[in-house]
Amino acid sequence: MKLAKRYLLLFVLPALILYTLFIIYPLINSLFLSLYSWPGVGEKTFVGLDNFRKVFSSGAFRNEVFNAFWHNVYFYILAASIEIGVGFFIALMLASKIKGARMFRNIVYIPNMIPLVLVGFMWSLYLNPQVGLVNQFLKLIGLGGLAQSWLGQESTALTTIILVNAWRNIGFYVLVLLAAILDINPSLLEAAYIDGASNWKIIWRIIFPLSFSTVRTLAILLFIWSFNVFDMIYALEGVQAGPYRSTDVLGTLFYRTAFGGLGSSAIDMGLGATITVFIFAIIMPVSIFYVYLVEKRQRSA
Amino acid sequence: MKLRSVLLVSLVVLISAIAFSGVVNIWSWRSQDADVWKQVESRLRAQGYDIKINFTAYAPTEYDAKVNLALQTGTGPDLVYSRRLPGGRTQTLIDNGLYLALPDDFDLSNFPQAVLNSVTSGGKVYGVPFAVQVVGIFYNKDYFDQFELSIPKTWDELVEVADTLQKNGITPFFVPGKEAWALTMQHAMCGVSVLGPEWIKDLTEGKTCFLDVKFVDLNRKLNDLKKYYQDGFMGNSTNDLNAAFAFGQAAMVFYGIWGYQTWHELNPDLRVGYFMVPPANECQEPYAYTYMDGAIALTSNVKNREDSLKVLEFCATPEFGTIFSNITYNIPAVSGADLPDLDILKVAVDTYNNHASPYVYWVGSVFVTQKPSLYTDVLSPGMQAMYSNKLTPEELARNAQEAISQWYEPLMKK
Repeated sequence: MKLAKRYLLLFVLPALILYTLFIIYPLINSLFLSLYSWPGVGEKTFVGLDNFRKVFSSGAFRNEVFNAFWHNVYFYILAASIEIGVGFFIALMLASKIKGARMFRNIVYIPNMIPLVLVGFMWSLYLNPQVGLVNQFLKLIGLGGLAQSWLGQESTALTTIILVNAWRNIGFYVLVLLAAILDINPSLLEAAYIDGASNWKIIWRIIFPLSFSTVRTLAILLFIWSFNVFDMIYALEGVQAGPYRSTDVLGTLFYRTAFGGLGSSAIDMGLGATITVFIFAIIMPVSIFYVYLVEKRQRSA
Repeated sequence: MKLRSVLLVSLVVLISAIAFSGVVNIWSWRSQDADVWKQVESRLRAQGYDIKINFTAYAPTEYDAKVNLALQTGTGPDLVYSRRLPGGRTQTLIDNGLYLALPDDFDLSNFPQAVLNSVTSGGKVYGVPFAVQVVGIFYNKDYFDQFELSIPKTWDELVEVADTLQKNGITPFFVPGKEAWALTMQHAMCGVSVLGPEWIKDLTEGKTCFLDVKFVDLNRKLNDLKKYYQDGFMGNSTNDLNAAFAFGQAAMVFYGIWGYQTWHELNPDLRVGYFMVPPANECQEPYAYTYMDGAIALTSNVKNREDSLKVLEFCATPEFGTIFSNITYNIPAVSGADLPDLDILKVAVDTYNNHASPYVYWVGSVFVTQKPSLYTDVLSPGMQAMYSNKLTPEELARNAQEAISQWYEPLMKK
């Protein structure tokens, strides 16, 4: 038994070293850095909890932080509804044995393979207020009144970005949910049909409950990704997260604070690190709670 | 046997030349300069210097962080494009010894003192300036000829010009509202003429503040002008601006001379003119917002000091300026260069030499050196909010005052 443990440690050690080096160390370093003011070069100035005071006490920076935080929350709610909710129904359709199902599965996943920079560029063109595909299409079908500056106004910018994000990522969710649905024992479904259950009843009483653990896993992953989101906002609105911060999330606020915008703008790595600690403080408890739930479920199973 | 020996020796010499030729690594945020460095390398080789230049360009938004990190870890290049002074980032790099001062005997006689001031710290010069920028209103000459429009001398005349163009079905201005920095630049270039340098000097010295009626009035003027912008302008980027202006979809743009390279590439037939933002009334002189864009600086990571200094020496000559401006259509910082025979460049150079505002509040000003910055934190989101009717001109002025007075002593207690 002792020998087995020694070997176990030997196998775990490389991963443990890498994990410590690239996850644990930066995390602890961020925690320490959040107690300093530092322009990224030279001496760090110890400011204690002053950075946290800027984040949590009243003031312009606090407003920016919580403005960004609520955008993350909105991002998660809408992204989860579309990517998991709509993704589930697409997966259901793809699970049915219709002609060409395999081709449709591939089509759904294609956007996921397009590099993000290209997605940003492509959708910037599609959403161009004057000549973009989206407005032109609306005009073509007689809905020209709905054509607007999608990324240029507060009322539509963030939602548009979330929809573009969903367009790109839904393939992944569909793929995972499809695997979960196909994993359900067909005899259960056949028995339900023989007993005269309707399609809706089968979906809600059999398929959904049996794939719920997958949905829950995807929901927690999406929660973590939603609070780390940066790239899609950056690609479509830049680091200023316009118009007037209406698409700002904690990721873009962190980038702007830690690395500045263009040119000679002021930067503070310490204050930026405080935002990362704030993000960590949001994600970690939820993740722990999730793990606790899964453990509890496995123990009771 | 003799021939074989000669060939062998030649081969050894060739290999040695390749292996030991001086490599100078240069980093920049300007990808458009790649061909400049190819030509610099060939000129230096023609002069007998065995120098190979490796030029790498990074995305402007990531560039500064990359330079900071690389220089601290010793993995940086020999030379970097550095940002101008005053500027927190460059000053920090100088203070920590990551940018090196040029030798005392370095020949900088081809640079005006005003340009050198933007690279001088503690009496030492850090880098060789490469370009100066002029911003203002660029216009399509064909439209001005077609509707017999003349260059406006006052703000009201500018509005009249816009009105005439609009009545004739031409979009007067194309504004990239999605890119907040461009709106800040627009505010700043209008400020130097409408407010005037004296007012900005008073602001810098704390004799007036952002709550002054003149500043509020400038905000109002800009807000009133938006009815002459293209529909949905808040969703447009500078890429859209370049295409729209190059192909005549708008008559005027608030932009910088650096845009000419792209417009010319997109449409070589485009006739572009330039004028300074007109002042509020005829009693005031117009001024242009100009600034030294950046310099090529020697880093503490330099591995090939001798050849790097040779490259820098070349950058300080009119010959470099000639190469630079003929490839990029930018104005070189060095004097005496032969610029391409373009009216627009001549006008821009004349504007830089004779009409540059001595006081500014965007790039190169004290108001962007701390946080909250007038550039990033106030005018960038503020202009977008004002143009979207979410902020009044008065509120934008109040936001500026509240933000800057947090750290800028002359504006405290106002």
